[in-house]
Amino acid sequence: MKNTTLAFLFVSPALLFLLAILGWPLVQAVILSFQDVGVIGSQGQYVGLANYSAILGGAGFWRALGRSIVWVLGNAVVQTALALATALILNQKFPGVRIARTWVILTWIVPTVVVVIIWRWLLSSSGGMINPLLIQAGIIERPVGFFATRESAMTTLILINSWRWFPFTALMMLAGLTRIPGDLYEAARIDGAGTFQRFKRITWPLLQPTLLVLGVVGTLLSFNVFDVIWLLTAGGPSGATQTLPVLIYDTAFKGYRLSEAATISVLTSILLMGFAFLATRAMTAQEAAR
Amino acid sequence: MGTTRLLTIAGFAATLLTGTAYAAPVDLTLWHMEQPPHRVQRMKELLDEFNAAHPDIQVKQEPQSWGEVYAKAPAAFAAGNGPDLLFTIPDFTTVLKGIDAVVPVDDLVKDLDAKHGFVPATLAPYKYDDHVWAVPAYNMAISLWYRNSVLKAAGVEVPKTWSEWLAAAEKLSTDGKYGIGLPANKQLYTDQTVYSFMVNSGAADIYKDDGSIDFDKPATVNAYDFYSKLAKLSPADNGSWTWGEAEACFASNTCGMILQFGVINTYDTQAEGDAADLGVAPVPHADDQGESATISYSNAIMLTTKDEAKQAAAKVFLAWLMEPANYGRFLTMEPGLFLPVTGDGAKAESFWSDKTVTKYKGQVETMISNSQHGKLFGFTTGKVFPSIGAISAQNVIAETLQHIVVDGQSAADAVKGGQARMSEIAKK
Repeated sequence: MKNTTLAFLFVSPALLFLLAILGWPLVQAVILSFQDVGVIGSQGQYVGLANYSAILGGAGFWRALGRSIVWVLGNAVVQTALALATALILNQKFPGVRIARTWVILTWIVPTVVVVIIWRWLLSSSGGMINPLLIQAGIIERPVGFFATRESAMTTLILINSWRWFPFTALMMLAGLTRIPGDLYEAARIDGAGTFQRFKRITWPLLQPTLLVLGVVGTLLSFNVFDVIWLLTAGGPSGATQTLPVLIYDTAFKGYRLSEAATISVLTSILLMGFAFLATRAMTAQEAAR
Repeated sequence: MGTTRLLTIAGFAATLLTGTAYAAPVDLTLWHMEQPPHRVQRMKELLDEFNAAHPDIQVKQEPQSWGEVYAKAPAAFAAGNGPDLLFTIPDFTTVLKGIDAVVPVDDLVKDLDAKHGFVPATLAPYKYDDHVWAVPAYNMAISLWYRNSVLKAAGVEVPKTWSEWLAAAEKLSTDGKYGIGLPANKQLYTDQTVYSFMVNSGAADIYKDDGSIDFDKPATVNAYDFYSKLAKLSPADNGSWTWGEAEACFASNTCGMILQFGVINTYDTQAEGDAADLGVAPVPHADDQGESATISYSNAIMLTTKDEAKQAAAKVFLAWLMEPANYGRFLTMEPGLFLPVTGDGAKAESFWSDKTVTKYKGQVETMISNSQHGKLFGFTTGKVFPSIGAISAQNVIAETLQHIVVDGQSAADAVKGGQARMSEIAKK
């Protein structure tokens, strides 16, 4: 028996298992999207492309997609900035750096529900800590509701989610930083390059492969975040934080329009697969050019 | 071994086996949404007692959450893993009835009504399409809660009308204190508080007799307009409030007044616990209305098994639960929140002898009195339309409020939008 055949045989049980638990629900979702099922458990009729036509022709899907893009970009910017700063600090040699590298991951390992409870309490305008601090600092005059307006709700959500996820990104970047040869910095220093020059000419370019991978994985992960948004705002106020995953849940389980939700899921999957395909191609092309 | 002996042994074994099968208890699974540990514990005590007294029936509880059960129950029934008994509120029943998961309980309710006397308003939301779809279990009604000492210090009387209410809330709004705590979240609690305003401005009906939506009318606009005025006197984070935040605001004396089903337990355990100072009153009414009304939720128990043996066993359990000696202990799983739905339950010693109910007797009596004037959106015209399930689940009443307090729309425009949204849902 050839090695490849043997390898395939070894892998096939796991593949079949994956196919069963991932593939079958996906097929079911596609089938559902061509029907008009309402409540789970009820029967539906075949309606062809009617759901796709209604979803793509309506404003709800596009608005939610727009919010998802704002969400992903906001998270990308904030997380990259926080993570890069943290990774650069943790890449230095100072007493306690090992402990810092371990404990920086703390916010990432805290369960989402705990994160939500902590932030809801901190941000509460009647008893929370943030409002009194901002008043004392003279930034605001009276307590504000961080989830009360469209803009502040999305911004607050992005900051909380970034606070939760940036340690993971920072560790990935730190791994990338440790792969940059130290003698490059040494040579640059001898040539008279300052801190900013070394960052611009060595760190940033050599960190690009790591940033690209993080960009693709981070986009997919951020796009699919549901728990933090649902638990903090449930898509509100007035739909301001209703991203595509929240819209799917709302449509399926609050609107009792399971087939429409399946249609949005299928469209979202196509979008994400398209993005992943293009990003992978771009990365491959960049690798080849190097 | 002779044939006769073999047959005798076989017959004896068969008799034993049949006897064993006959003696096997009927297992019932009960889903309820009373998740707090003390409520689960009280249910366990009651179920243990019932199971001990009825060896042929074993009821086990599986607590669920209201936030998930709307999605979880239909999925469970579709997979054949649904419960046999399921707690419900009127709009949830319409959802499950729509997928044929609910069994009518006409005969049982008739018997229980003859014996215990249901409060008609608690039964009405479950009587439609020629059947009764659930057994009322307890009632909840929103009231206005305040501290007597706080009102006295501010020199205001307990408000009865909206103009008095606004004046009182403004007077109670001092540095660091909020005159009133009203939610503005797109969530069920906001649906309930907004509807409490609607019933007090003459906008109780949201359906016409023919099933079309009857939401956009001056009385509804008036209710939303007044609500948004009072909401400005509430904490700024009320856009993410559920019931707990309002209770916490009241318990910490940060909110002067709140609208809530009950605060007794929180007030007793986490605030002063001074029964004489805790005030409760009917929700104030619009100046042009004669008397106060409120939203009331008749919580009930549905029979959700097609198995006849289980149905019979479930009826035995429900009949046992409604006996005054047991019913009072069931209601006081959350003292001062769950109100009786039967005549003899309202007088039950097992209810009034609870130490919290005894301590806050005056407040509980007021709550029961308020609940007599309770209504529920979608269940006021004597006809029930299936779309109320989706309208309620999507919190369209609360969503309409958010268009005013978040998007800055006028009450008239927001209500017009709400009418369109409800009509769109009703059409699907």
